[in-house]
Amino acid sequence: MYRERTVPLSELPAALDEAMHGALPLGCYATNRTVRTLLLSNVGVLALRTPLSVGEAWESLASRYPLFAYHEREMRALQGIELRSSPDLRPLYFRADAIPEAIIAEGKGVSVVVVGPVHAGIIEPGRFTMSTGGESVVHLDAQLSYSHRALEPWFEGRDALALAPQVARICGNCSVARSWAYARAIEGLAGIELDEGTEYARLILAEMERVHVHLFDLGNIAAGAGYGKATTAALGLRERINQLNHAVSGHRLLFDSIVPGGVRAGTLSDPASTRAILREIRDDIVRFTDAFFARRSVLRRLDGAGIVEESLARRFGAVGPSARASGIACDVRALAPYGAYRGVAFSEERASAGDVYARSDLRRREIERSFDLLDRALRELDIAALPMPAEIAAPPAGVITTVVEGARGAESLSLSLGSDGRVERLHVISAAYRNWPLVTRAMEGNIVPDFPLVNKSFNLCYSCVDR
Amino acid sequence: MSQRRFARSLAIRHLVCGSCNGCELEMNALAAPQYDISQEGWSIVASPRHADLITVTGPMTEAMRLAARRTLEATAEPVVVVAVGDCASGEGTWCGAGSAGAGAGQELKASIVVRGCPPTPDALREGLRAAATLLDERNS
Repeated sequence: MYRERTVPLSELPAALDEAMHGALPLGCYATNRTVRTLLLSNVGVLALRTPLSVGEAWESLASRYPLFAYHEREMRALQGIELRSSPDLRPLYFRADAIPEAIIAEGKGVSVVVVGPVHAGIIEPGRFTMSTGGESVVHLDAQLSYSHRALEPWFEGRDALALAPQVARICGNCSVARSWAYARAIEGLAGIELDEGTEYARLILAEMERVHVHLFDLGNIAAGAGYGKATTAALGLRERINQLNHAVSGHRLLFDSIVPGGVRAGTLSDPASTRAILREIRDDIVRFTDAFFARRSVLRRLDGAGIVEESLARRFGAVGPSARASGIACDVRALAPYGAYRGVAFSEERASAGDVYARSDLRRREIERSFDLLDRALRELDIAALPMPAEIAAPPAGVITTVVEGARGAESLSLSLGSDGRVERLHVISAAYRNWPLVTRAMEGNIVPDFPLVNKSFNLCYSCVDR
Repeated sequence: MSQRRFARSLAIRHLVCGSCNGCELEMNALAAPQYDISQEGWSIVASPRHADLITVTGPMTEAMRLAARRTLEATAEPVVVVAVGDCASGEGTWCGAGSAGAGAGQELKASIVVRGCPPTPDALREGLRAAATLLDERNS
């Protein structure tokens, strides 16, 4: 459910303090000069709606709640909203001839190591500036936005029903999750309820995405720890999921499988054989993870590296496995169940140590939970019929935010539609957006050679952050 | 299909210019045992100085334009640029959208184009084999 409450700027801090109890803060965004501050709780999304008058500046929330810092910089960059009392006024986006200078530590013996934006592996662009004392990192500055394509202004004025393929391609890692959030937004505005079979099919597609992303993360963590054999094994297992993805949806990464009104025709046409193949893959994944997590030399690298304390994760509004590994309950599938998750009594995995080991082990357990869900949903789908996607006439004007649990955490999508079915505003808050500040803090006090390991234990996206 | 063609090793530098990461997921799949490009003598290298081939993805962004040009300049001639995916080839979802460019492969004058959103690992392997042949010709 989506609710809005209008709160004047002067009353927002008090209203926000109150709304934060028991809720997961998602961030804030502006449509023209109206700012919405979003929170998720077990009753759904609450938006505190704050219209700014002409010339009125936004009183920054970031000093009190650092999680709003990126959001406020984005409102300034894209909507031209002036910020007052902001702790960080660096531009969020830039041209290649005006790259912002990194914040570096100063002092005797401090030296600076810079990597990126082009990297040694096959990864997205970012510039990392490490201030070091000896081998230890004193401060890490992460300069993102190299993939900024100004996509959100581009969405404005376009036919919402025709945009699903573009939404699926904002980020290749979170494609299914975002397509699901987008479909739910349109269906929510149009007042459409889906049948059980379609909801199970969507759950299956989302869990298959989670499995292939988590497997890739484990392979990358192994690479960060210098355990090449495990990287290759994880890639091999992921490939089997990608091939199955292709068999069930016609696309190895499941792009375009969830569409407004349902799932694409022809998807998951043979649930019984899909279930049988998944069982085989599951057994091999368990064999792989059992061996990986029994390797003492690997565990020595994972234990105690890149620690994120729970209080820090809370202050930055962390979500997903990165937050759950530090003890925060934030899995949208459990906190605010949607679709078929409403009927399966899902309970989320958590850990407390907040280190690379915790983030790795959490993924291992989440993969197992995903297979539990897949097995059950495929059995249900085998009985239920899977209809063609519902026809949606032009959805009515309105504003909505939907949230789903992607592999990286809460994926939030806000949609404002005009009366002609055209997009007034389409805004994405990705889980990676929420979690990037953690990576920089997690590195403090760790050694430079552990940067790949710590970084990959988050393995955050850039594309849906930069947009 | 000469012996020489398969004898060619490739040192690949990968350059991401506003891709959605889908192409990167498939490029990474090339290291899976099902494809195992190391058997072809291909490797992803840590510096453009080591590279004889640049794979590039994405429509090109304002922020990456300079780094992309410098990467290419830092690579020893002859170098082959391979446009990976629809965006880099100039036909993708984000070409010309927002502030994105017309295709990173177009801007960097790619000689080989591998289409797909994203391309499959098989298509990538074919494209890289074609690039190895082209490099052979340019080197001889």
